[in-house]
Amino acid sequence: MTITELFTVILLVAGCFFFLAGTLGVLRFPDLFTRLHALTKADNLGLGFIAAGMALHIASPWAAIKIFSIWLFTLLASSTSCYLIARFQKEKNPPKNRKEEG
Amino acid sequence: MDVFFTIVIVFLLLNIAVGLIRVWRGPTVADRLLTTQLFGTTGMAILLVLAGYLEDPDFLNVAITFNVLAILLVIGLVKVWKKKKGESP
Amino acid sequence: MSVLIDSLLAILIVYLALQCLLAPRLTQTVFLFFAFGLALALAWVRLGAVDVAITEAAIASGFLGVLFLDALRDFSFITSGKQESSDAANHSVSKKKPAFLSLPGVVLVLGLGLFLLITLEAVWKVPESGGLTAATEALLPESGVENPVTAVLLNFRAYDTWLEMGVILLGLLAVMAVGGIKIFPVHRKTPEDPVLQQVILFFTPILFLFGAFLLYFGKNGPGGAFQAAVLWGAIGILLHLGGRPVLTVIPRWLSQLLLIMGIGFFLMLGFLLLAGGASLFEYPPSYAGVLILIIETLAAISIAVTLVSVFVHLNQLNKEESN
Repeated sequence: MTITELFTVILLVAGCFFFLAGTLGVLRFPDLFTRLHALTKADNLGLGFIAAGMALHIASPWAAIKIFSIWLFTLLASSTSCYLIARFQKEKNPPKNRKEEG
Repeated sequence: MDVFFTIVIVFLLLNIAVGLIRVWRGPTVADRLLTTQLFGTTGMAILLVLAGYLEDPDFLNVAITFNVLAILLVIGLVKVWKKKKGESP
Repeated sequence: MSVLIDSLLAILIVYLALQCLLAPRLTQTVFLFFAFGLALALAWVRLGAVDVAITEAAIASGFLGVLFLDALRDFSFITSGKQESSDAANHSVSKKKPAFLSLPGVVLVLGLGLFLLITLEAVWKVPESGGLTAATEALLPESGVENPVTAVLLNFRAYDTWLEMGVILLGLLAVMAVGGIKIFPVHRKTPEDPVLQQVILFFTPILFLFGAFLLYFGKNGPGGAFQAAVLWGAIGILLHLGGRPVLTVIPRWLSQLLLIMGIGFFLMLGFLLLAGGASLFEYPPSYAGVLILIIETLAAISIAVTLVSVFVHLNQLNKEESN
């Protein structure tokens, strides 16, 4: 196993770990806002790790640019979706139990 | 290396399968919409790994296509359903 | 080892397809269909059919989702009086007995999965070359392009593609026939959410560029007019949803010209070729490459405008009915 392959394996395993964390969060967290938090942060980090691993494995500059832009677009789309979904939910039925701040 | 890629892909596919539970349980539309994010991001990861596994970078084009269009669904839902709320209060 | 991936994908696809049909609520169906499209795109990638995978990804991921949601809004308006109560009733039903755990469902899925596994095993060793692959490969140099899929779609079986464009146009005509041709009022709404505006403005050039890339790249690799058209059509839908109704600000004659441009140029070319003594759509090999690129570009623009028109008309139709 070369050093490149070792790094690919490490990066992919790290990515899988964050995907697992994101999925568990979506299933186990109690309400929509916490689920959003788990999903849009953990999964995008996981995708970043996998993207880095695969860019290393494919090892062509053109492919690396594409992979990087895939990650960038996903980050943008995902954070926007998170914001839109949260606002959508907040307008429909506002969250309760937010009085402890004041 | 191929065995390792296979394991990763299977693991990610199982992630999607488990995420389907959230589509069922809901309870709100927003919860179901949330799972499209899960499918989208995980699907991207699977496509990336498949591109490396099958050693054909052309597959990345599939990922980009899916990627830039997935946001349409979310914007569509938020805008379309908001209009409904505004018109028939 | 890859049998594991394939069988898992196959089971997932069949399961999702069944759930799409069996889901008690239509919103569930829309999101399950999104997952179904993703699984299908993955399967096409796994089969090595990148052209089909791109088309599937383009249509199933965003465009159909938006159309379905729009239709769902209309549907929920019709039954709006009962919506809340039926929702509650459905909820109690699904709480009592989730359909995906019911015995017939499990048996059906398991049986179909087993059937698929056996089929997979049976077709595992398909002969490498079959059908018309050899004939296509032999004629590829004369087609003017290097991607066999593009060669078949736009040269060898061009009339097929031409008629398909007609079908899409007919779809729009049907929508117009139901809703009536209207001149939409040009109104710029107050800018909505700033984040939404920025994201739409960011994705617009990317969609355009990537569509153009797929269109041009279609000569030598996967991609082509239909995929590019969906991406360009998505621009129009995004701008429309973001409060910038592009289609309504351009003059009627221009939008009508854009609609028939692709199919019209295709038809004129066919007649010219017939007049020149060749058969329909039999391009002279030396010009084939250029002609295909022109046809594809015009077709992509036409299809994109058609898709946006369908969406805008349906959207407008729903709005009027709810008033």
